[in-house]
Amino acid sequence: MKPFTSDVVIGIECHAELSAKTKLFCGCPTKGSEEPNSRTCEICLGMPGSKPVLNKKAVEFALKLCLALNCEISPELIFSRKSYFYPDMAKNYQISQYEIPLGRNGKLRLKDGKEIGITRVHMEEDPASLVHPAGLKDSQYVLVDYNRSGNPLAEIVTEPDLESADEARNFMKQLITVLNYLEIFDINSGIIKADANISIRESGYTRVEIKNITGFKEIERALSYEISRQKQEVRAGKAIHQETRSWDSERGITFSLRKKETEEDYGYIIDADLTAIDISENWLKEIKRHMPELAQDKLKKFVGMGVKKDDAEIIAADKFLAAMFEKVAEEIDPVLAAKWLRRELLRVLNYSKKELHEAEITEKHMIQLLRLVESRKITDNVASKILEKLVEKPFDVKEYVKKEKLGAVSDASELEKYCKEAIEENPKAVEDYKKGEAKALNFIVGKIMQKTKGKAAPKEVNEIVLRMIK
Amino acid sequence: MNINEFIRQVKNGEIDIVKHTQKIIEQCKKINEEHNYFNTISAELALEQAKEIKKLLKSKDKSIKGKKLLGVAVSVKDSICVKNVESTAGSKILKGYEPLFNATVIEKIIGEGGIIIGKTAQDEFGFGSFSVNVGLGFKIPKNPIDKERTCGGSSGGAAGLAKAADFPHIALGESTGGSIAEPASFCDVFGLCPTYGRNSRYGLIDFGNSLDKIGPVGKTCYETALLQEVIEGYDRNDSTSLNAKNGNYNTFLKKSLKGMKIGIIKESFGEGVAPEVEKNVRKGIDKMKEEGIKAEEISLEMPIKYGLAVYYMIATSEASTNLAKYCGMRYGAIEKLEGSFNEYFTKVRSSSFGAEAKRRIIMGTFARMSGFRDAYYIKAAKVRTLIINEYKKTFKKFDALASPAVPVLPPKFSDIEKMSPLQNYMLDIMLVSPNVAGLPHLSVPVGYEKGLPVGMLLTGDHLQEGKLLQLGNVFEGN
Repeated sequence: MKPFTSDVVIGIECHAELSAKTKLFCGCPTKGSEEPNSRTCEICLGMPGSKPVLNKKAVEFALKLCLALNCEISPELIFSRKSYFYPDMAKNYQISQYEIPLGRNGKLRLKDGKEIGITRVHMEEDPASLVHPAGLKDSQYVLVDYNRSGNPLAEIVTEPDLESADEARNFMKQLITVLNYLEIFDINSGIIKADANISIRESGYTRVEIKNITGFKEIERALSYEISRQKQEVRAGKAIHQETRSWDSERGITFSLRKKETEEDYGYIIDADLTAIDISENWLKEIKRHMPELAQDKLKKFVGMGVKKDDAEIIAADKFLAAMFEKVAEEIDPVLAAKWLRRELLRVLNYSKKELHEAEITEKHMIQLLRLVESRKITDNVASKILEKLVEKPFDVKEYVKKEKLGAVSDASELEKYCKEAIEENPKAVEDYKKGEAKALNFIVGKIMQKTKGKAAPKEVNEIVLRMIK
Repeated sequence: MNINEFIRQVKNGEIDIVKHTQKIIEQCKKINEEHNYFNTISAELALEQAKEIKKLLKSKDKSIKGKKLLGVAVSVKDSICVKNVESTAGSKILKGYEPLFNATVIEKIIGEGGIIIGKTAQDEFGFGSFSVNVGLGFKIPKNPIDKERTCGGSSGGAAGLAKAADFPHIALGESTGGSIAEPASFCDVFGLCPTYGRNSRYGLIDFGNSLDKIGPVGKTCYETALLQEVIEGYDRNDSTSLNAKNGNYNTFLKKSLKGMKIGIIKESFGEGVAPEVEKNVRKGIDKMKEEGIKAEEISLEMPIKYGLAVYYMIATSEASTNLAKYCGMRYGAIEKLEGSFNEYFTKVRSSSFGAEAKRRIIMGTFARMSGFRDAYYIKAAKVRTLIINEYKKTFKKFDALASPAVPVLPPKFSDIEKMSPLQNYMLDIMLVSPNVAGLPHLSVPVGYEKGLPVGMLLTGDHLQEGKLLQLGNVFEGN
């Protein structure tokens, strides 16, 4: 590996829950009853005599991820036992992968174009969840819930290519975009966790591992904290130790779990209960055939349609928005559609604190609305207001415009009447304009808009006013 | 009584199956007082099954007609799970564990009308060759021919009972490195360890997952073949189970041996082999010759030289992970909850595993630790492939290989105490390699010497159990 040169060096290991319906090695549902230990069987409880049987659907999900991350894919799927004793482990070993991960040497491109190397992608089973009734530190006992035990996970390990907390956040966000596009991750209930290795130049790049970070917002918080902690320690003349720390999201700090003199030894062996599965070219072809277009492909396509690059990037990053855009753009000029989806729709959603997939508005409403805008039947102003209402509760746009008399006023004689009134009422502005103050024209147009409640077609109004005051 | 005659009489109602079952349960209790073959006698389950059979017979249920084991008592090695019957694999750490499910082989046996009479004694988790490494608080089974001697292991209770029971009975054993053939040879019965994957392991409490095989032990070759036929076949719950055609062993038992070719393993005779054993095995080979086989001496270099080392590396590595789950948390042994989880797990494991289990956990853990892993575990896996290759080459020329099952007569308990673990392991030299290679092998009683039985080992190519039973059948009623 080449020596590090950046101020901060970060590599992360993400665990994403794959949204398969059943667990990785048994038929228990991955989602459903939250009653503790209700979604369990002898296999996910690790009862003596039980044996795992691989869920092929989950393998397909992981293969999609490997393909999307441009990984080299192993010709065989082999599982290993990772041994360590812990109360959340049904068998005191975790079925995971070791020597030969499913995918390796991949990459993920961040929005700014930087490529982050993916060292490996492998599959493993989730342990149970531990419940500390009186909090992590003060509980006298823990309760174990095996509902999660055996859920399929994909572990994604990056190269130490990330150089800031912000970049780590972007990476996680981009990864979630990919997972979501592939429909292998449940964006509403799926959990994505990360452990991060982080070091700074000032310490000579002594590596500290941070565990228990959930979600992309947390990774930025945790790493920002850790970077300043390390810098402060060095400034105070203290040494940074190689150690494992845990992120405490409530207190917003990391704390030391254990000093690391050597790497942990998990004593990996092949899990002989599971035979090696061939990953044939045909199987991969079949999976590729069913793979949706990814954000990168969409971006290229949208730019090709004439959409501005920054609009296209933002639309492509959101699977739902991209899907809506594609449908709207079949009926409406793509440039106009992109502008409205990216600027107005996102603004309104953001304002009402809704995600697109949570709102009831569909492409049908957007097409109705934008068709009126495109044919200048309504003004932009009016359209924006209608959109705000649509996001709250959708309705038939055409009828609404008719009922509320929101159609744009473009009839020349009617417009002339309003213009004449406005010119007469604002002689000073007319004077100013004639003296060369271009802004004064806007003032007059604004007055006309007030009179027409925004319904006047701005282009025509401009022309009429100019003609009248010359 | 011939087992087929017995099944016929049960079907006809000439034998009242409930009364019969009650009677044999009493016999089992009596045998057990003297010989310790059972860890648990499942009287309740057996009677329940017998009553169910009686009911079906009374209602003239048609399904009863074809049942291959109707009313036949089947004993089950303790490491094979039987629903609601304590299944401990002979370990204190599983004391009180009653599985919530039946092993696939048990489902099949019950489906064919076999009556489960109990769980038989074994070395703890299968860790031994003499059934003296029983778990803490368990009793050591004794040889049915001489109580001063071992009945072998680890399926010692299964083989002992197969010999001692004078009612229709077949035993279900399990072999990881010779645990069916060795006790069968010490107890004068037939023991078949099938091809790895031939019988489902679902419900078998694991020792070494890449080595474990469930197989039958019977007083006759016919009974052994019968039980094998019932339990074999693909099982979707066991990913390693083979999708192979069933053996149809009955047709093999009737076939002549003419034209078959046997390889006599040169290294299995001579130094270290008791002359009484050699003499009887040679006699056995002669008997097969009389029936028309051709025999030729061959050498098996890799299997003899490295089999034992490979076996102990792989078996203990796998075992050490399989035994990790026993920690006093979800089932089996529990102790007062005190200290951190690490302290608690350590306390339970220290007080509930026997010495040999601890030895193998330590050996296996060592072999797979980083720094040693490549030299031991990974190297062993590679040599295993070489062993399989040599066997496969040999089977291009031979239908089966013959050797003594064990180089000695069943030893006395007092002599076993004097053996070092390594001397003990060395006795398995002929048995471990077929196990490492997943090859089917059958122990056949070939004679008596000084009042003690001698067993011959026949090893076949993968899925060639039929040929072994065909050869073994020569010794029926020996």
